[in-house]
Amino acid sequence: MAWDFGNTKEEEAYRQQVAAFLDKELTEEIARQNWEDLGLDKEGRAFGKKLYESGLLGWSWPVEYGGKGLSPVYDFILIDELGKRWSAHVPNDVAYTMVGHTILRRGSDAMKKEFIPRIVRGEIEFGLGYTEPEAGSDLANMKMTAIDQGDYYLVNGQKTFNTESHYADYHWLAAKTDLKASPYKGISLFIVDQHGPGITIRPMITMSGERTNEVFYDDVKVPKNRLVGEVNKGFYYMMEALMSERNYVFTPSRYYPYLNMLLDYAKQTTYLGKPLAEDPMVRQKIAQIAVEIETTQLLSDHARWMEWNHQTMTCEPEITKVVVSEMEQRMVDNAMQLLDQYCQLEEGSKYVPLKGRIEWEFLHSFMTTIGAGTSEVGRGVIATRGLGLPRG
Amino acid sequence: MDFTYTDDQKMLKEAARRFLAGACPNVEWYLEMEKDEKGFTPELWKGMAELGWMGILFPEEYGGIGGGVLDMVTLMEEMGYAALPGPYFSTVILGGCTILAAGSEAQKQEFLPKIAEGALRMTLALSEPATTQFNPSLITVKAKAEGDGWVIDGTKLFVPDANVSDWVVVAARTAGKDTDRDGISLFLVETGAPGVGIALLKTVAGDKQCEVVFNNVKVPKGALLGEAGKGLAAVEKTLQIAAVAKCAEMLGGSNKVMELSVAYAKERVQFGKPIGSFQAVQHLCANMKMATEQSIYITYKAAWMIDQGMPEARKFAAVAKTWVSEAYKKVALIGHQIFGGTGYIVEHAMPIYSRRAKAGEYAFGSPNYQREIVAQELGL
Repeated sequence: MAWDFGNTKEEEAYRQQVAAFLDKELTEEIARQNWEDLGLDKEGRAFGKKLYESGLLGWSWPVEYGGKGLSPVYDFILIDELGKRWSAHVPNDVAYTMVGHTILRRGSDAMKKEFIPRIVRGEIEFGLGYTEPEAGSDLANMKMTAIDQGDYYLVNGQKTFNTESHYADYHWLAAKTDLKASPYKGISLFIVDQHGPGITIRPMITMSGERTNEVFYDDVKVPKNRLVGEVNKGFYYMMEALMSERNYVFTPSRYYPYLNMLLDYAKQTTYLGKPLAEDPMVRQKIAQIAVEIETTQLLSDHARWMEWNHQTMTCEPEITKVVVSEMEQRMVDNAMQLLDQYCQLEEGSKYVPLKGRIEWEFLHSFMTTIGAGTSEVGRGVIATRGLGLPRG
Repeated sequence: MDFTYTDDQKMLKEAARRFLAGACPNVEWYLEMEKDEKGFTPELWKGMAELGWMGILFPEEYGGIGGGVLDMVTLMEEMGYAALPGPYFSTVILGGCTILAAGSEAQKQEFLPKIAEGALRMTLALSEPATTQFNPSLITVKAKAEGDGWVIDGTKLFVPDANVSDWVVVAARTAGKDTDRDGISLFLVETGAPGVGIALLKTVAGDKQCEVVFNNVKVPKGALLGEAGKGLAAVEKTLQIAAVAKCAEMLGGSNKVMELSVAYAKERVQFGKPIGSFQAVQHLCANMKMATEQSIYITYKAAWMIDQGMPEARKFAAVAKTWVSEAYKKVALIGHQIFGGTGYIVEHAMPIYSRRAKAGEYAFGSPNYQREIVAQELGL
């Protein structure tokens, strides 16, 4: 045991394999299809399949389901290498980085056999069905019901901000199964065919042009064998998975492409006959972006390291989440100052710098401090769970 | 990857926590040290030497224990936590590391074992009134070859602990223009030598930073440390270690401030509740935790890179110094906010840490200076 910030030989070999594959196969279009949540198109699906066929997917998953049985570090390396290229993430990432882990932890053997191999192959995607109009930060306040009818559950209600639902195969649904119990002890998780009878999906378009969805359930029958784990344990399962999910989803490596873009811009753009790169203010701003990315990457490295070494995480991934999301907003603001009035130009418009990526990122960055838990809820977690302050 | 101390580092850390808790007992004592002209006590110095801390970075053949920068930052973190005053940093890092980097075998044999046993105190004289901004290559203090030795003339500023040092390493210009990277030479000068004048500067942290005037100071040929005109490389090496060691010291202070403030937020009752149960206070505490956590790993990564001899160490040391300086400043400010009026009183621990945070921020290059290094390393 000793401080070490490098990869092992095996990890480094895997990283190089992944990097070589992605440099060849991952186009900017495919990356953006997924990252901008436009829905995985044909090319995206094909890329996911290629990634699996290249033998680079699933190293961290159990052998009996098609993985290599290695530690999560390999999936983290994969995610970071994707992130360094146009901010991409794993195709079908809700299945691969979130839902799959809970199925492994809590699902029945039959459920694992049915779903995990396809997740490991990158074939299926889930829509996350948590948020409701009355259940945002206060997730336990959900109203959707799943009533036990003997041989099935009858589900009614409405979800909102279910981002992947329009292209997902399955819905990862949280609903109330015990209406009398405290909300924390009356919620269960289900896997539902996303496009089955009684389900209506309506688009909601965000200010940055991403699609998310409202999902309505009208007397939807969900078979008993699609209950995840035990009944009424759903809220606990969601909370149990939360820290690990943050380790997979909030990845600072995604910001290196922006840094690189700005470095090129500063070197190639002149003002009064001199490259912007010679302006001390420009140098300071870009350096500050690098400082924040590097230090945030280490927060993430540390929290993930805790996870793959089976240490109890209290608030470490939450820290990464809050810091990454707020960093993104500062980064965008600094980047826009470098572009000056050109920062307003949208992708496709005449004179647009950097393909409009900064303008898009500006619009997107309003979401990061809100989605998956606001910064305020996050700070509450850090204060109470991390520092032991009393709950108000 | 591994985010753990070695067993030896754990023992070092625990021993340091124990020793320093006794050696730096309370605010009263600290304020006494600030008023005291020396700023430390002989017992404190002896105790640290007996623990082997003076030779932590030196190879065994020079009386050290052959540790690396990771060991140094482990110890330094505890020193920052305890708010240790005195010339440890200047002696071991500024003096010791420079001799280690630039000294001849004879110079190393002469100085390092003495430092390791606590018999010698040293510092490094770098900054000058000739520049208003930190710039280690802007050197105007002159050293002229004369007879069998050198004559040094000029004024140095912000020289830590020169008032209690036996020797000072002086960066002087022997050739070239004021800002040339070449032409800077290092000299070992006894502080008691004729023509050396030392005056304490009054500073925000009450630390012992000095003006050192060299008025026609004659030193022998053997006083030259390293090759004439090539001194800057050794200085930069020392500054890199010093920046990271200062980060560790600031990180320790940051941890202490957070510990004090969170404990206070749990026990201080207003409106019938502990103030730590109010969201406004909780979010401030969370901000401290985030800023501190973000300081830990960058400090240790930079130290690790120096130990590994990686070229990226230059960038990461600068990243660390930028981040940790600003984080500690922020944490100290929040600490004051949580303690309210009570933390504003001179006998409280908070002012010690917030004043030290300011000194740390400007030691060995402020965040603005460090960001410029980062920019260079990014290829700008």
